[in-house]
Amino acid sequence: MSGDIVVSARDLHRDYRMGGDDVHAVRGVSLDVERGDYVAIVGPSGCGKSTLLNLLGGIDRPNSGTVTIDGARIDRMRDNEATRFRLLKIGFVFQRFYLMPALTALENIELPMADAKISGSQRVQRARELLAYVSLDARRDHRPSQLSGGEQQRVAIARALANKPTLLLADEPTGELDAKTGAEMIDLIGRVNDDGTTIIVVTHDEDLARAASRVVHMRDGLIVDDRRQDAR
Amino acid sequence: MIAALLSAAVLLQQIDTLRPSTLPRSIAIDERLAADRRIKLGDLLVVSPTPGGPGDTVTVSAFVRRRADPSEVARAEYRVRLHLHQLQSLIGYGDRVDRFAIATPSAAATDSAMRGINAPAFGFRAYRSRDIAVETSRTFLVVSRFHRAIGVITIVASAIFLLCIMLLKVDERRRDVAALRLMGISARSIVRSVMVEAALVAVIGSGVGVFIGWSAARIINWHYRGVYRTPLAFASVTPNIIVLAVSLSLVLGLIAGFVAAQRLVRVPALELLTGRHEDRAAAA
Amino acid sequence: MLFRLAWATLSRHRSRTLLAVLGVAVSAAMLLDMVMLSSGMRVSFKNLLLARGFQIRLAPKGTLPFDTDATIVRSSEITAALASIPDIATISPVLGGQIHVAARNGAVVSAIALGGDAAAQGDYEIIEGRAPTGANEIAASDDFLRAAVARVGDTLSAAAGYDPQLRSFAGSRPLIVVGRAKFIYTSAGQRAVALPLTTLQSMQGSAAADRVSFYMLRIRDDGRVDDVLHRIEREIPRVSGVSTQTAMAQVDERLSYFRQLALILGAVSLAVGFLLVTTLVTVSVNERLGEIVVLRAIGVARGRIVQQIVLEGTAIMFVGAIVGLVLGLGTARYLNSILSSFPGLPAAIDFFLFQPSDAWTALGMLVGAGILAGIYPSWRGASRPIAITLREEAVG
Repeated sequence: MSGDIVVSARDLHRDYRMGGDDVHAVRGVSLDVERGDYVAIVGPSGCGKSTLLNLLGGIDRPNSGTVTIDGARIDRMRDNEATRFRLLKIGFVFQRFYLMPALTALENIELPMADAKISGSQRVQRARELLAYVSLDARRDHRPSQLSGGEQQRVAIARALANKPTLLLADEPTGELDAKTGAEMIDLIGRVNDDGTTIIVVTHDEDLARAASRVVHMRDGLIVDDRRQDAR
Repeated sequence: MIAALLSAAVLLQQIDTLRPSTLPRSIAIDERLAADRRIKLGDLLVVSPTPGGPGDTVTVSAFVRRRADPSEVARAEYRVRLHLHQLQSLIGYGDRVDRFAIATPSAAATDSAMRGINAPAFGFRAYRSRDIAVETSRTFLVVSRFHRAIGVITIVASAIFLLCIMLLKVDERRRDVAALRLMGISARSIVRSVMVEAALVAVIGSGVGVFIGWSAARIINWHYRGVYRTPLAFASVTPNIIVLAVSLSLVLGLIAGFVAAQRLVRVPALELLTGRHEDRAAAA
Repeated sequence: MLFRLAWATLSRHRSRTLLAVLGVAVSAAMLLDMVMLSSGMRVSFKNLLLARGFQIRLAPKGTLPFDTDATIVRSSEITAALASIPDIATISPVLGGQIHVAARNGAVVSAIALGGDAAAQGDYEIIEGRAPTGANEIAASDDFLRAAVARVGDTLSAAAGYDPQLRSFAGSRPLIVVGRAKFIYTSAGQRAVALPLTTLQSMQGSAAADRVSFYMLRIRDDGRVDDVLHRIEREIPRVSGVSTQTAMAQVDERLSYFRQLALILGAVSLAVGFLLVTTLVTVSVNERLGEIVVLRAIGVARGRIVQQIVLEGTAIMFVGAIVGLVLGLGTARYLNSILSSFPGLPAAIDFFLFQPSDAWTALGMLVGAGILAGIYPSWRGASRPIAITLREEAVG
């Protein structure tokens, strides 16, 4: 880690109205993440960890507080600015993979690069490199329905890395995987971090949390513990 | 006494003064002519066979509305009814007519009248009005055929549209259907439920459609009666048409629902749920 | 990538896409037919009127040519008056009537007779032989020759009057068939003959002396047609003049029903196509809300997502439109064949006349509708809040 802060959140609040009740999902959370760090956010269901991840990634807006990613105030950006920022600076990995079912593995990885106006040949080359990185080069022409859960998640990670993001955010990346595949995923995420990408994961998976260099515990919308742990 | 109409070009001039020595005979004029030229009952007119030429002074004693005859609907010329002898004299027709119209008390009387007339007929012939009507209705028949063709095309389009919509609707709920099948609900029950839904949509849709059709028919009649100035009904929604429309849409709806549901239940439930197609042959 | 994703999405649901294309095709066919119907009659009738270059028709006062049995009396005076107008290049007087011929097989064949000046006529085109210039010559239509069992060169005994009861003919004389003709203004199957004006007048007896049914006039300068018409109506008050434009306007009015029908059915077809694509796009968007918000989450701009979804709808419309245009030409032929049997209408009139501009109009309307149909549902789908939608999709 460089000491250089890439993610800075100050006094974040996020409230929802759900089923007639007011839910205070995040209640004054502040968090700094250094470049190259690997942070796991853990806590019981409903503690606000996924909401916090969404706020950090700019796909949700806080009711109050600030979020700064790589020097840019993402909470203040208009929708199209935030979208562009996410395209170039942030990679997302979701629990349910969310690959485009109509596209092949290769095309799914090309998708964010197309919007970043990278030429066709360069896109294909980089996509193939990423598929090789996640050990799926032989499955590049397969559609998601023809891939296992673990393979789909690896494609999702490759897609998230397509535009060489500053930050990778993963929400329960091993949530729908079996133990063996989950372990492979943890190794892969570790490798991505070793190659320099700052990572924040939200997880229930203890093995994934153990692989991180820093663990942030949340409860009832607040950070209750934040500690470094031994390197892997 | 108003005699049968004779086809002739008679021209009318309105005049303001009465020739002192002649009491004018009466004529009946087309109500459209009266409206267009602001002619009132009692007005004096001059009817002549040539434009601007001499003729007879007559008084307007009645307005005549033209009949609801489809063969006449596109004809814009005005009709005027005069006493037979007056018209014969005016146009130099002599003691001639174009035709007689004869009413008989019964069909049997019509047959015997025709036989009686045609046998000694000299230079003329008797025809049943019905047979003449067939000839003069050819325009109407052509338009009917055209409408029927449009109707068939519309039905084909509707059937395709309906099938597409049912397919979409059923596709939308494939996960629900998969869950039901995994729970043990039979494919037959699912197909039946989709068909009931399709039937309901068809019946409600046809109800709305009948109302729209009835309203449209009223608007069409109001509009074209104004354009063509005729009492003819251009569109009518009859009980038979309603029954046909509702039955047809019900049948089409049921077929569309059946086809859509069958497509869905043929796919294994797990594949419906996960979206993953297992190539069992390759696995084996 | 936009095209690739749109194509991939459409081919993922083949049956649905195919049915939607078919639905649009039928709507497109109907729309093309209605566009053709709305302008076809008009263009076809205009071409017919101008087929021989006559821009003005004169009929007895208050009537249209052949609308009634009225005739123009003292026609020689009128011909002389017309000849004195320098703008008029050709004067074609026409007398209409009937002739009756005893065919070889014993049947009596009746036909409409057009008496005119062969050198200046505008009612027929000779397809075999020559035009009738001699006093005892006729040119006849194929329908007449078939019915009369005659051919070019034959002599027929023709009469202007026939009493079916007495089986007697009035005003009969021998006429030689010198030509086969295609009559421009007759309806399908109608038997017709052309003969010199004076011959027909003489056959019809003293009642027809110096009378014609109407005149056709060719004006030297197209720009002077209205001026000539006004001059004629001023100087010859016992005739009514109809220019091509006026005739077209009157036909427009009489056949306005078909134009209005074309407009209504065309609008309904377009609406049906629009509804179909809107429904398809809406369902498609609802099915993949998760995918759509994830695209936004990974940084794909909302406008691009809308473009891609709208492209899907437009593609269906476009392909459906192409298929529909082909289908529409076929159905137009069928519908035209029905309407061509309109009694009294010249067989040469087409109700459905194809012009390339019609195809472009129909295609343009459909593609426009396809774009509009996709915009709202795709914009709604692409504007959903990302976090909330992802949560709903996870729960769902």
